Amino acid sequence: MVAVAQHPNITLMTYCQVEKIEGFVGNFKVLIRQKAKYVDHQRCTGCGLCWESCPSHVPNEYDLGLSLRKSIYIRFPQAVPNKPVIDWEHCRHLNEGSCGICQEVCPTDAIDYHQEDEILEKEFGAIVLATGYDLYAGEAAPAEYLYGSHPNVLSGLQFERLLSATGPTGGEIICPSNGKEAQRIVFIQCTGSRDEAKGKSYCSRVCCMATAKQAHQVLEKNGGAEVYVFYIDIRAPGKAYEEFYRRSVQEGAVYLRGRVARIYPRGDSLLVYGEDTLLGRQVQVDADLVVLATAMVPAAGWEEMSLLTGVGTDKDGFFAEAHPKLRPVESFTSGLYLAGTCQGPKDIPDSVAQGSGAAAKVLALFSIDEMELDPITATVDEGTCSGCGSCLLVCSYGAITLEQIQEEERGTTAYSQVARVNEAVCQGCGSCTVSCRPGAMNLKGFTNEGMLAEVDALWL
Amino acid sequence: MRIGVFICHCGTNISAAVDTEKVAKAAANFPHVCYADHYLYMCSEPGQELIVNSIGENELDRVVVASCSPRLHELTFQKTLERAGLNPFMLEMANIREQCSWVHSRQREKATAKAIELVRMAVAKVSYNFPLQRPTVSINKNALVIGGGITGMQSALDIADAGYSVVLLERDNTIGGKMSMLDKTFPTLDCSS
Repeated sequence: MVAVAQHPNITLMTYCQVEKIEGFVGNFKVLIRQKAKYVDHQRCTGCGLCWESCPSHVPNEYDLGLSLRKSIYIRFPQAVPNKPVIDWEHCRHLNEGSCGICQEVCPTDAIDYHQEDEILEKEFGAIVLATGYDLYAGEAAPAEYLYGSHPNVLSGLQFERLLSATGPTGGEIICPSNGKEAQRIVFIQCTGSRDEAKGKSYCSRVCCMATAKQAHQVLEKNGGAEVYVFYIDIRAPGKAYEEFYRRSVQEGAVYLRGRVARIYPRGDSLLVYGEDTLLGRQVQVDADLVVLATAMVPAAGWEEMSLLTGVGTDKDGFFAEAHPKLRPVESFTSGLYLAGTCQGPKDIPDSVAQGSGAAAKVLALFSIDEMELDPITATVDEGTCSGCGSCLLVCSYGAITLEQIQEEERGTTAYSQVARVNEAVCQGCGSCTVSCRPGAMNLKGFTNEGMLAEVDALWL
Repeated sequence: MRIGVFICHCGTNISAAVDTEKVAKAAANFPHVCYADHYLYMCSEPGQELIVNSIGENELDRVVVASCSPRLHELTFQKTLERAGLNPFMLEMANIREQCSWVHSRQREKATAKAIELVRMAVAKVSYNFPLQRPTVSINKNALVIGGGITGMQSALDIADAGYSVVLLERDNTIGGKMSMLDKTFPTLDCSS
């Protein structure tokens, strides 16, 4: 993270959103919304007086609700950039005009309640989409697992926050309900993954290893702890993965092959009923904490991003690569690349590999000054075009404009309107050719004559 | 007009369901077809050599390759045509794998008949093809990476290390993404900061 912030060739634009993407490979024009931070980051030194003084408390998204933060905040102490923003939805001053403490205490006069969103226009030759994932938390877990209704049932990522030295407990594994150290922890695999009826049909790929790692960490921190893992099967197909999983088993994690049927609250603890299909019998485990390995889903906002970029998705919302084996980091739009979990569930080594893969594609593009484009584009026969504009309406790429042309005929000047195609923007989809009633629009490489000849060859 | 037709077996992917020799024989009689042949893997080096040599020997000006989906090998065969001195857009592909042999694997006779029809259509279409030239555009050498998680950071660093300017855009107020929420990461147990 620090390497990124310090790199002279990288401009970090945090708290920003893409509003619009126009253009084509080598020539993208992007509108970016810089959301108002209400803090002048040129003046701010990141001293922290403002967030220490802020009187309002809101659930901390970074700790997934396990702690509180202030309305003026940084995500975590090592955040990059290490300067705060004001969450306007919860700020007392921005909503009610009261308070104003952060402005009073700021020694550099950096608080600016009048800051507004800014729209910036920038030009790029290539774009990499690396928008990531979310966890399919609440909705995915069956109601009988008590997620959301019992404080000691957590998602895998919430449990990571408990383990973390920067987390709400400083790395102590304690039960949210009573603050006592958790001695008996049950992990449930494939919650929402590999379950078409109650969640997603696919395997999320990281949970087996993430759970093995969490089990190891529990046993490392507390040798006396009891760790149980309910699983369907163990998927550890990476370099040193199987060995890592074995190590957790040897350290004492008890793996039970079977599903959990139901969890009952009993005071502060939880009674977990499941089955062990290897022994062929029902099991009952008394737990202090239950951790659910929930499915990976595309990060919120994937629908908007798909519309903005024109990159399609699969049935689950993951961005579609141009070819599953041969072009895994390319989209169907030239100059627009995909990397990481926005393309499908994957772990850190695979995400990093794709990040580098997409960078290699960008660098290959940047190694040339001019690029050849696909010549299969629409063309207009201006003599036949009636200027009706129906092609304009069906073009998804904004490649067609109507223009006035001037014709000299027998000494008089006549004006007419015709369609014009921007060859660099046209993707050769052919929608305009079928919408054109006079037949003036034709697609190079897929001419109306050629297509009809194909049909004739079949039927005549 | 001199058209050449090349039928691919794709190992047994196509030839198990389609009688490729019969398709080649039928294609030889289609209008303007001067040469028709079949081979085990048309995309392989010897397969492409067969196409290049046949273009030269028979003075072909248009080519139909009946094999897999153009999504897989259209570019491959366009380059083959270029090597033989033809405009790459004088190529048509008939998809007799995904749209024929794979979906009619137990109906050899019908699959063969369908493959012949698909080739007949491609031959008719290629008759109307004309050479196309690729337009060129200049390349702006600034990159945008959307998403400041581990993947976006890696991408941005690699592009920046090569000497190009990168904007790393993140909707949150810090980079790091989900990775920064993890305590240690498997299998090496590194920290995530």
